[in-house]
Amino acid sequence: MLEIKNLHKRYGKFYAVNGLDLSIPEGEIFGFVGPNGAGKSTTMKIICGLLTATSGEITVDGVDALRHNNKIKEDIGYMPDFFGVYDDLKVDEYLDFYASVYKVKDANKNKMITDLLELVDLGNKRDAYVDNLSRGMKQRLCLARSLIHNPKLLILDEPASGLDPRARVEMKAILRNLKDMGKTILISSHILSELAEMCTSIGIIDNGKIVISGTVTEIMQQIYSKKLIKIKVNDKLEEAVTILKEFPFIDKITTGENQIQAAFDGGEEDMSRVLYSLVTRSIPVATFAQLDGNLEDVFMKVTKGGEEQ
Amino acid sequence: MMINPVLLKEIKVKMRSWKAVGIIGGYLLILAAVALFITYANASDMYSSTINPQFSIGAYTGIAIIQFILILFIAPALTAGAIAGERERQTLDLILCTKLAPRSIILGKLLASMSHILILIIASIPMFSIVFLYGGISVVEIAQLFGFYIVTAIMAGSIGIFFSTYVKKTIAATVLTYALGIFMCFGTLFIAVFYIRIFYNYNYQSYFPLFYINPLAGFSSLLTEQFGGQYGGILNMIPGLYMVNPLNVKGTAPWLINTYVNIGISVVMLFLAAIKINPTRRGIFFFLKRK
Ligand SMILES: Nc1ncnc2c1ncn2[C@@H]1O[C@H](COP(=O)(O)OP(=O)(O)O)[C@@H](O)[C@H]1O
Ligand SMILES: [Mg+2]
Repeated sequence: MLEIKNLHKRYGKFYAVNGLDLSIPEGEIFGFVGPNGAGKSTTMKIICGLLTATSGEITVDGVDALRHNNKIKEDIGYMPDFFGVYDDLKVDEYLDFYASVYKVKDANKNKMITDLLELVDLGNKRDAYVDNLSRGMKQRLCLARSLIHNPKLLILDEPASGLDPRARVEMKAILRNLKDMGKTILISSHILSELAEMCTSIGIIDNGKIVISGTVTEIMQQIYSKKLIKIKVNDKLEEAVTILKEFPFIDKITTGENQIQAAFDGGEEDMSRVLYSLVTRSIPVATFAQLDGNLEDVFMKVTKGGEEQ
Repeated sequence: MMINPVLLKEIKVKMRSWKAVGIIGGYLLILAAVALFITYANASDMYSSTINPQFSIGAYTGIAIIQFILILFIAPALTAGAIAGERERQTLDLILCTKLAPRSIILGKLLASMSHILILIIASIPMFSIVFLYGGISVVEIAQLFGFYIVTAIMAGSIGIFFSTYVKKTIAATVLTYALGIFMCFGTLFIAVFYIRIFYNYNYQSYFPLFYINPLAGFSSLLTEQFGGQYGGILNMIPGLYMVNPLNVKGTAPWLINTYVNIGISVVMLFLAAIKINPTRRGIFFFLKRK
């Protein structure tokens, strides 16, 4: 559906995108992860025809996107990393405007708007002024806008950023629906865990290049050998941590509310020894489990501590 | 035919705002005040007869000049935010990633502002018809006047849109538009006066070429042609503009050439604006770079 080959974008001497390759098959939800300034938005804008590329190739559904920019515009729905709303319009007028811009036929327009508002759960806000919507609602309205011409490929730039947890969950549910509708989705975030659960594949970008890409499990296998364990206790969190620290094969202990996560570098017997110690020293262990791995860690490792501020 | 969606949206939003009502109301109030003032000022001449062409020509000229100045002020204000405002609201990218051609976006914005001006002009028709009833003014003259209004508004609006695309902020675009407007109206006048003083010692008997981009000079020429120096020459009270003496100019009337020049300026400004907002353009001189 989307193929990017050796894409470069130069600003002066600085390459914002520096030899980026990407291939997203139809029907995938591809997570585009990288720290701020990695070049995610730049890449997305180039795909949408909002920036010119310095060099490289992009094809969308087999069509050369850089050369026949206008042909692919109807196939792409773009949601930028800002709202972009006319606050003096009502919700349905807002969508109606973009429907006309995309030359959606009048006969289909009304049904399309109704369906989309239903999809993004704004059915009861039809007559509200865009200005009066909450942040999450505006975000969903923007998503609806990007879908107004029924595109095959959706390009969503940080759609979950700045949303409260509840709004984030709603956004995720909508994306799952879109996947079921057969859309191909490219979605970006600088927080890996935001994407891990909903993406079929992930590409990690740093300094304008894809560092690694593949399915979530593939990435884990490739670069992370350590296991992670997650322990839930009903009480005595600090004591439990003290006990864990006694074991040489456990490190990177982090705690949450009644919950401990740690990297674990040992075998099955070591695992049972840890559990045994905890229980015999009367720690009320509720759950004790090995995780497939924590993507956030992978991310930190891959981007060489690319975390800023 | 498909109506430009940008135009449609702009009209919908603008016309329902109180600002639109305020502008039209304030505009008519100013025009009415001027008409009243002229009526009283001429009251002494008026007792001989109720139908007095002298009076109507005076009133016509007064209203025409005030309306022209108002349009010159309003047109840039309506357009300078056209694109810069979209940028500030971060909606520009959202239109640009659609199939709507850049020139349609630019034209939609221009037409939306022009429809506003058109409403102002139409709202002033009753006042002109009262003047018309007094006699001395023909329909052709009113048509010429309105035509000149519209072309001038398009020119001023196009300059507003031009700056709106090349400058990021609405405020900066507004300032630059008015600055260029002031140069066209008065800067050219200064240059003309000094030039003629130095090289001709005021002995200059034609329309100074720079005046073809001066809306005031063009307008003055129009009024002078319509009613001769006595009334049409009112604008000549602006220092320096007295040199506009179309009665001595042979060939095409200067105001007509001003009109063509205005159309030319508009086309160039809109063309440059459409090129500028096209994100995949290869620069303004793309046609030179092609291998
Ligand atoms: N117009 C520009 N001029 C110069 N540098 C830019 C411009 N736009 C973006 N950049 C730089 O390009 C890099 C990539 O930006 P961006 O694609 O927005 O990153 P991301 O979306 O991954 O956070 C950043 O370092 C940014 O500073
Ligand atoms: Mg970004």
